[in-house]
Amino acid sequence: MPYPTTSTTEVEPNGPTRREVLKQLALAVMAAGTASFNLEAARVVHEITNNTKIQTGTYTPVSLSAQQFRTISRLTDVIIPPGGGGGSGTDAGAPEFIDLLCSENEQLATIFRDGLTWFDDVMRERTGNVFVETTEPEQTELLDDLVEVEQGRGPTDLRAGIGFFAWARRLTVDAYYTSPVGITDVGFRGNQVLTSYSTPPDAIAFVNNIADDLGL
Amino acid sequence: MATVQARSELHDVIVVGSGAGGATVAHVLTNLGVRVTLLEAGPMLDPYSEFKEHNWPYDFDHRGAGKGATQYLGNNNDSKPFGFFTTTSGGWQLEGEPYTVADDTDDFWWFRSRIVGGRTNHYGRMSFRFADYDFKPRERDGLGWNWPISYEDIAPYYDKAEEFIGIVGSHEGIRSAPDGVFHEPPPPRAHELLIQRASHKMDIPCIPNRRAVLTRPINGRPACHYCGQCGRGCRTGSNYSASQTQIFPALDTGRLNLIDMAMAREITTDANGRINGVVYIDKRSGEERQLRCRILVLAASACESARLLLNSKSNINPEGVANSSGCVGRYLMDTVGYDIGGVVPALEGLPRYNSDGAGGAHLYMPWWGLDREGELGFPRGYHIELGGGYQMPSIGMFTGVAQEAGYGTAIKDRARREYGTRISFAGRGEMIPNASSYCEIDPNVVDRYGIPVLRFHFKWSNHEIRQAEHMRATFTELIESMGGTPQLPGVRDASGISIGGSIIHEVGAVRMGDDPRESVLNGYCQSHDIDNLFVCDAGSFVSNPDKNPTLTINALAWRASEYLANEMQRGNL
Repeated sequence: MPYPTTSTTEVEPNGPTRREVLKQLALAVMAAGTASFNLEAARVVHEITNNTKIQTGTYTPVSLSAQQFRTISRLTDVIIPPGGGGGSGTDAGAPEFIDLLCSENEQLATIFRDGLTWFDDVMRERTGNVFVETTEPEQTELLDDLVEVEQGRGPTDLRAGIGFFAWARRLTVDAYYTSPVGITDVGFRGNQVLTSYSTPPDAIAFVNNIADDLGL
Repeated sequence: MATVQARSELHDVIVVGSGAGGATVAHVLTNLGVRVTLLEAGPMLDPYSEFKEHNWPYDFDHRGAGKGATQYLGNNNDSKPFGFFTTTSGGWQLEGEPYTVADDTDDFWWFRSRIVGGRTNHYGRMSFRFADYDFKPRERDGLGWNWPISYEDIAPYYDKAEEFIGIVGSHEGIRSAPDGVFHEPPPPRAHELLIQRASHKMDIPCIPNRRAVLTRPINGRPACHYCGQCGRGCRTGSNYSASQTQIFPALDTGRLNLIDMAMAREITTDANGRINGVVYIDKRSGEERQLRCRILVLAASACESARLLLNSKSNINPEGVANSSGCVGRYLMDTVGYDIGGVVPALEGLPRYNSDGAGGAHLYMPWWGLDREGELGFPRGYHIELGGGYQMPSIGMFTGVAQEAGYGTAIKDRARREYGTRISFAGRGEMIPNASSYCEIDPNVVDRYGIPVLRFHFKWSNHEIRQAEHMRATFTELIESMGGTPQLPGVRDASGISIGGSIIHEVGAVRMGDDPRESVLNGYCQSHDIDNLFVCDAGSFVSNPDKNPTLTINALAWRASEYLANEMQRGNL
């Protein structure tokens, strides 16, 4: 499933754009002088922010080549696979995120272009095929080896790829946990507008039990 | 660059700087009927375009990495301090506005904001009164210098500032943390209750935090809506920022003339040495302009005010304006900062809940060692700020988890398990002023406007180093008592303390005192040398107690403003 690409030009097909609403709110506040901005207005801003419409469509990479984009797409799904609850790297838009950042930062683009080429070279040596054409066990075997090398063990000929692997994992994980699927996966419940704050009784009971157990 | 001739208008009061000090002066004076002209080196603040309150990371294609991935690979000029979502406008390095660090100093960081409201737009909003003994530190242990004022002098102005700004807190009767005028504090979060148990086990008080947030509406500002995003700027103005709380209402009085993008360059004096105006650079046109005034109030930040005084040399003031004592730039202090975090595995399995709350910590630990001073191996004290909870996921939050897990579903499992188990402690302690910590004009470097820049000298003494060691031991014991593993802090000085200036509590450099030979200002923040000059930022601080400076800047500025208005009315100014 292609991840809907986000855009800061929010589209509200049947209503004013979020920007327009915010502008109206801003004008209302300015007219009233200081921040005489009520809770209802805060809630409106919040809901509009939440319901920001996301443009959907097929993504065309702007920095990486089509082949490199296929490779990074597959790699992000090995790093964050769809199984085990939550979603995958591609569900979270990780390939698009990486391509975007590469398009704006030449240092990052070089890391990814060189790294993806290295990935294919290693796979070709190992299996005769480029990364995306290898089987899942072949792919996970390479990542298992890379993790071993990262931890100071494993085949030394993979050392050259460690830096790139760390970058690919870092950006994939960041993309995942900053996406709706990742935020839901980890269980973040906040970013709300509330009239009061309280800590739920079950959470209080939990920490009191911990404290008792620890002898605190 | 041609200087545009002084306009004929004589301004009653010119204030330089619109942060906590300048905004308080502007607010109090305009309410007392005084006309104020306010110069701010940055632009007007627009909360609606600047603040990213309530945005999700995925509202932006770069998810918070910043345009050009600057949060990953940017340099100091283009990566945003404290992250993309914070409202910070300014930073450690400003393009075209350098400062230098002297050879005798390892490092010093100077954070500057260039926007209406200054650093109050992003600050932590910790709001602690100085204690009675904090004004007489030399009487306490023979170190440093006493203030010319006492707690009784400033207490009514703490009351006024707290009442107007809005501070959550509770009445505790602890001498090191005087009670104030408080809004109902939000209840503790789950991890804070655990920390409180650990704290009490060590006989350390852990009480409701005191922060500049409203929990009931005041002055047309609604109560907090508990999104926990104070650092992004609050569109509803439910926390304190000088811009929204003071400058905007002061503009509404019709008595405040705000000139933004105005970089003050020099103070001008008449033949008798009295202040008669200020020269500034209009950043938009690049033109130099001159304003005439009856009274000048500097509130440009401690070091920026010192710089302006030192750069205003003339035959009559060869060492700079108001500097007959030679103290301008001297006795610069920051806060002793020492931070340790740690993962507490016992928190795994804590039910998920919305822990955003009122932003910042809901509890803190005031200094508890007052009765044991002399036994601890270091003078003075520190307070402890807390961190933790289920924070909004952001870039970098799971980098360490992912590295430890390798790849695959192990990352997701581990992230679910460890999310919300990390807590942190930040010690914020008193630095004692020393002769090796000061700023001066660098004779060789000017900024983009041709204004000579500051050169910093900074040194922690053994007092601070031993205090930081006590913090390390205390935080380690706290974390270990919860079954956690301490993780050492990141950016540090060679001594183990935060780098000077990095806590952004630089105070002093234009200190007040009873003796005009050893201080620049009197107890009303008024120059000993020139009665129509006031300095209403943290420059006036004689000491830097373990209480974050903003509330005291507000209170001192409020007191100075009433004095100034009264002196005007009596015809003395």
